[in-house]
Amino acid sequence: MEELLRMEHITKRFGDVYANRDIDLEVRKGEVHTLLGENGAGKSTLMNVLFGLYQPTEGSIYLRGQKVRIDSPAQAVRLGIGMVHQHFMLVEAMTVFENIILGDKNTKGIFIDKEARKKEIVELSERYGLDVELDKPVTEIAVGAQQRVEILKALYRGAELLVLDEPSAALTDLEVEGLFRMMGKLKEEGKSVIFISHKMREVMRISDRITILRDGRTIRTLDREATTGEELADLMIGRELVPSQYVKVEQAGEPVIALREVDYHKTSKHNGLNGVTLTVGRGEVVGIAGVDGNGQSQLAQVVTGVIAPDAGSVDMKGSTVAQFTPNGFILENVSHIPEDRNKMGLVGDMSVKDNIVLKATGDPRFSAAKGFFLKKKAIRDHALAIQKKYDIRCASIDQEARNLSGGNQQKIILAREMESQPDLLVAVHPTRGLDIGAASFIHDVMIEARDRGCGVLLISADFDEILEVSDRIVVMFEGQVMGEFSGKEPPIDQISLAMAGK
Amino acid sequence: MDMTFVTNLLLASVHMATPLIFLALAELYSQRAGLVHIGIEGLAAIGSLTGFLVSYISGSPMTGMFLGALMGILVNMIYAYATITLCAEQTVYGMIINIFALALASFIYRVYFGAGASLAQVNLMSTLSSALGITSDNFFVELLLDQTLMVYLAYGLVLFTAVYFNKTKSGLNYKAVGEYPKAAATLGINVIGVKYVASIICGALAGMGGAYLTTCYSTTYVDGNVAGRGFIALAAVIFGRWSAGGVLLACLFFGFCDALQIRLQISGSSMPYQFFQMIPYIATVAVLTLIGAKKAGPKGAGKPYRKEER
Repeated sequence: MEELLRMEHITKRFGDVYANRDIDLEVRKGEVHTLLGENGAGKSTLMNVLFGLYQPTEGSIYLRGQKVRIDSPAQAVRLGIGMVHQHFMLVEAMTVFENIILGDKNTKGIFIDKEARKKEIVELSERYGLDVELDKPVTEIAVGAQQRVEILKALYRGAELLVLDEPSAALTDLEVEGLFRMMGKLKEEGKSVIFISHKMREVMRISDRITILRDGRTIRTLDREATTGEELADLMIGRELVPSQYVKVEQAGEPVIALREVDYHKTSKHNGLNGVTLTVGRGEVVGIAGVDGNGQSQLAQVVTGVIAPDAGSVDMKGSTVAQFTPNGFILENVSHIPEDRNKMGLVGDMSVKDNIVLKATGDPRFSAAKGFFLKKKAIRDHALAIQKKYDIRCASIDQEARNLSGGNQQKIILAREMESQPDLLVAVHPTRGLDIGAASFIHDVMIEARDRGCGVLLISADFDEILEVSDRIVVMFEGQVMGEFSGKEPPIDQISLAMAGK
Repeated sequence: MDMTFVTNLLLASVHMATPLIFLALAELYSQRAGLVHIGIEGLAAIGSLTGFLVSYISGSPMTGMFLGALMGILVNMIYAYATITLCAEQTVYGMIINIFALALASFIYRVYFGAGASLAQVNLMSTLSSALGITSDNFFVELLLDQTLMVYLAYGLVLFTAVYFNKTKSGLNYKAVGEYPKAAATLGINVIGVKYVASIICGALAGMGGAYLTTCYSTTYVDGNVAGRGFIALAAVIFGRWSAGGVLLACLFFGFCDALQIRLQISGSSMPYQFFQMIPYIATVAVLTLIGAKKAGPKGAGKPYRKEER
């Protein structure tokens, strides 16, 4: 097969940090080429270089054998490169149709010829099975549909090479199937796809070739047929993956938190709680299993004091909670890893250092007079120690937190929440979107906390994660507790049935 | 209350609304590209002085209007360079324009005419009916024909803006820059370019709005003659929900309040005239309080666009 794209010796530096270092990548016509690597391995940076969003510090790009300079996304689009970003680039105030035609340079005329453009888009969407409602505002369609809009945007501009940056992260299984069918169709037409993912099952299924990146370098390019998932995983994290089997605790200590018959907007099946009774004891991990949107968010909010239940009672370390405020729960030594790290867990515009110390500013170690005067030096030393202890990879602790990769952002939150030595840790989807390395690190920290006597409430939609770390598994369905199971040799069949509400 | 009071009031409303329309459109074009501009007042002040000075020297209000627009663009380039290229805080630079341009206008006036000189006066732009030689005091004739070219231009601009933002490809791209510049950039739209174009349009319109006050409205220049209209224009954009039509209605409303206060001042009431003067401002506060918190403006407004941000 002939070569479509070749990137040679690409180096991209942000200040002192190398995001890409001497990377080589070759993509052929009509293939699905996977970029595999952990968070922060440099996949997205490399693709942003290809798409003209970043200028490479060094290196060159060849397209169809011709050396090209891509200094803007406009140039990339002209060269037939389309990209679906991990964070969607959709203008919320506009409709699906407007988002697709935005920036269009292929058609003449000043005015928008709605009928003609719509016909073209409908044809395109039928050809690739990308079903969208053109006249809806993009805010009113589901995540899967938003992604289809993003793909249509790229195809509408005549992309010959489509970059999909972790496209399956937010999709349901059914939608992933649709995505793969679309990718197959593109291949048939001789178009190429660069697929970024770290889900091994998907990678092994859809790719023709796989290039592995680690620490900003190319490790190797492999044919799918000539490799196995295990080999890829090993190359990706650069060490043998030890299936960490945590020892399961069977006898928990005294209860840290106990919910009795808790109701919250009980009639709402997806955003409510209906008679939930649940105990988390010292030194155990209780895993809440269930399909997302069956009351898990509300449960997390009740046990962290964000919302107050409509009925029922909550006992904290033996005494009934009267006032539900986040601060009250923090004073009771409850730590929280929230479900949305960007919106709830971090102040993105603040530095890594400040985020680490955020919850402890009143601590005499960091300030005098209860937070009135900050001890800058002590904070800095503490942050440096934490950065080391939790292996937070950043250019400097003064860097803004929002510029870090997802895994490192989560580590900041983890560090901040664990340093207060909590009695109860509420972790909601703590490893969502993270790679294997970061995820197992977070699991280790949770188990460590458990062994110290902390009660851990883990809420996750990732069933494997629940099985991996939970000592006790509680299944939720439509706001109700469907059953409780032991985490040691869990009865998978029964749990699955319970998750389906049976 | 007789008929003449009402017709006069309505005619005055149109007169008062015209400079507001220019200023509010200036703000609209700026905000639609993501630049919240609180310095319209200052741009209008320098436009007003330039318009006055040029028409005083050249005797042509039209030239004054034109150079007023040019001056508005020139001064607004300070704001544009700082906020677009240097990614500086928009509020801070808007305020700087207000302080700088107002003072500059006042300074130039003093230097040219000298302190305490007799009040200089200029001829105003002629209206269409006087140019055509029509004299009639019929309400509709007065409303439609006894207006300067600038009034027609203002309404023409509103219509153009409405069509531009809603029907054209270029307008759609322009709006995308204000909503989500990064997304616009990934679609090949020149974000920085659009923002500079926006600043040129904004400067020109604000300069014209200011020049209107000294070439079509009042024969003299006094410091502070913009009298908060730049800020009312800001309110009009919010009140008008960032659409051309809405902005027009908001300007007519504020223009009406302005006209009303003047009418009431000269109506010979025993109330201190300052109370009447407060009407447009109180209306502004009331309106903003009523529609207040619901922010529906461009999502990217107020934030700088940095190219290689992670």
